[in-house]
Amino acid sequence: MAKYKKNKDGLAAAGFLTPTLIIFGTFILFPVFFSFYLSFQNWNAFSWEGSFVGFDNYTRMVQTKEFWDVLKNTLIYTIGTVPLNMIVSLMIAYGLNQKLKGKKFLRTLFFAPVVVSPVAAALIWRWLYDPNFGLINYSLGAVGIDAINWLNDPSAAMFALIGMGVWKTFGTNMVLFAAGLNAIPESYYEAATIDGAGAWSKFWNITIPLLSPTTFFIMVMSMIGSFQVFDIVYVLTSGGPLGSTKVLVFYIYEYAFKFTGEMGYASAVSYTLFALLFILTMVQVKFLKNKTAA
Amino acid sequence: MALTLISCKKSEVNSDGKIVVTFWHGMMASSVPALEGLIKKFEESHPGIKINAQTIPNGDAGIQKLMTSLQSGTAPDVSWIYSDYMEDLVTSNSIYKMSHFIDGENGLTKEDLADIYPSLITYASWRGELYSIPMEATNLALLYNKDLFRQAGLDPNHPPKDWDELLDYSRKLTLDKNKDGKFEQVGFFIPVFPATGSRNGWMVWQYRPFLWQAGGDFIEKDQSKVTYDSEAGIEALTLWQKLFQEQKLETFTSDFDMAFISKQLAMAMDGPWSLPRYKDLMKGIDWAFAPLPAGPAKQATIVGGEYLCIFKQSENPDAAWEFVKWISSPEAQAQWCMTSGYLPIRRSVKEIPEFKKYLEDNPNYKVFVDQMDVGQAELSIDYGAMQITQHIGEAIEGVTIGKRDVRTSLEKSAKKSNDLLKRARNK
Repeated sequence: MAKYKKNKDGLAAAGFLTPTLIIFGTFILFPVFFSFYLSFQNWNAFSWEGSFVGFDNYTRMVQTKEFWDVLKNTLIYTIGTVPLNMIVSLMIAYGLNQKLKGKKFLRTLFFAPVVVSPVAAALIWRWLYDPNFGLINYSLGAVGIDAINWLNDPSAAMFALIGMGVWKTFGTNMVLFAAGLNAIPESYYEAATIDGAGAWSKFWNITIPLLSPTTFFIMVMSMIGSFQVFDIVYVLTSGGPLGSTKVLVFYIYEYAFKFTGEMGYASAVSYTLFALLFILTMVQVKFLKNKTAA
Repeated sequence: MALTLISCKKSEVNSDGKIVVTFWHGMMASSVPALEGLIKKFEESHPGIKINAQTIPNGDAGIQKLMTSLQSGTAPDVSWIYSDYMEDLVTSNSIYKMSHFIDGENGLTKEDLADIYPSLITYASWRGELYSIPMEATNLALLYNKDLFRQAGLDPNHPPKDWDELLDYSRKLTLDKNKDGKFEQVGFFIPVFPATGSRNGWMVWQYRPFLWQAGGDFIEKDQSKVTYDSEAGIEALTLWQKLFQEQKLETFTSDFDMAFISKQLAMAMDGPWSLPRYKDLMKGIDWAFAPLPAGPAKQATIVGGEYLCIFKQSENPDAAWEFVKWISSPEAQAQWCMTSGYLPIRRSVKEIPEFKKYLEDNPNYKVFVDQMDVGQAELSIDYGAMQITQHIGEAIEGVTIGKRDVRTSLEKSAKKSNDLLKRARNK
């Protein structure tokens, strides 16, 4: 009897899960495996016929200078955004954790960039960065800094992209940090106050160590996110000028959807990106998790 | 493959028993009323067919839409395409050869085909085989502001006729009025966009006439290697570099047409598709079009246009062909061109009295029609056209914004293109 009931439950569960599983299978699982298969094919995106080329796509990728340039740009973007993003979001989350009037309103305000459509946001940032009429150059001019041609100068465009990237994503991390901060018991701070610790000492000796699991999680997620940046690149700089902001996913996009005969190559680069992220995350888990989550 | 099983084909016959032909195009919003007029006329003369015209995005997004629709079995019957797409559409066996229809009962005569500008036939073909029929022609001419010419002491009825004059006029028309080191007025706009971006094709398109004017070309006839790094190429790109740098165009961030309207720009290249829009926009400005200045070798402009292809997934290819064929007829062309501002694909349209009168009344439009005779088609690149266009764009961007050396930039790009061609041949 008990066994029968169990099976019945299983059946019901299967029934409820089926729609999700079908959607998950069709739009996530199948493409994941199919693109792995494609990475060994020479495949024209318009047709269903490909030809097996072995590791050609991978070897070609390693031999292409552009791939390494693009990888370098992606690393620069990651190194530029992840630490900055974490510092900004921690600072704001910490500030908002204090007894403050209008806290909820401010939190909403800081979170807003995350929910704004990246295309609309990038169009606004284009204006901010405009060399002639932009607010940023205007502000810099007010303190005596010469106008910078943000989006047309190959040495400035990456900074422009990083600036917008941080603005667009710190809200999520702020919320995560806020949750982490809330989880730290008030009593620790009280005890420290009795012992005569100052604000900085409390922050450094209580908040930072107790926040470390959150910090670790945020670091891993932000890094994955910044390796996969695409939308703001597409709208803000289109990978230019001179390819200085062309990042990995943009490169994949070009080969997959613009140079339509190159779907196999694009899949090979995608899998390389996957492998890179996998290794990087593993390294982080191995070397940082033990220290931070102690 | 098994995909045909799950493709849900929409019904091709509507409730009135009419055959429905789905037609995708990427027309600018300002040209859509003209298209609707054209379709109305077709439907009046062909009561059994209904045209379901749908706007699709231009450029990258358009090709993605075609790609998905082909894979899911929902391709249109007829679509507007660019010659860059041809390679993939043909090699994936997605579109009909035009000979399938032209040689049929309801075909086209040799005279019909000979009446179409040869440059357009080149574009509409892939490896010498016709896969599409041109729908309209365009080319590039020089847009200039006569008032600004007068202010600079130039003759408003004598637009620059060669490169030397273009350079000279640009210098005279580039003004730093308040002496702050920035130009308030720019002489001639050189379009430079990121080679990796969606406007790269538009940039390279406008560069092409300069290469021809210098006597060069893009690719060997047998497609064995690219030739845009020739001496002529160096000459043409050097002119662009000079114009770009002297006028400090890297800080010129407005769209050229908006800058022209606000009198910050004296000269630019533009096509006939802008004519209907300019009629309203340019009130209060004394503007005109002129032929592109001639280069050291010859006078040239680029001919373009969009091409209609018929998909093998179509359930009514013959009805689709009827529509395509009708659009290419001189009468339909005359109506289409007079309402849309596009140029006719056939020479004989110029003999139609209504059209003759239209030319007399619209001298700016006439500049474009007359230029068709010096209009050139790019030799269509059979393999990797999109990538090679990007390589050319990289060279243009490199020497202008990147201030790089012209010769080395062109050689670097040409090497990439040649490697690609070699790989494509070995495929």
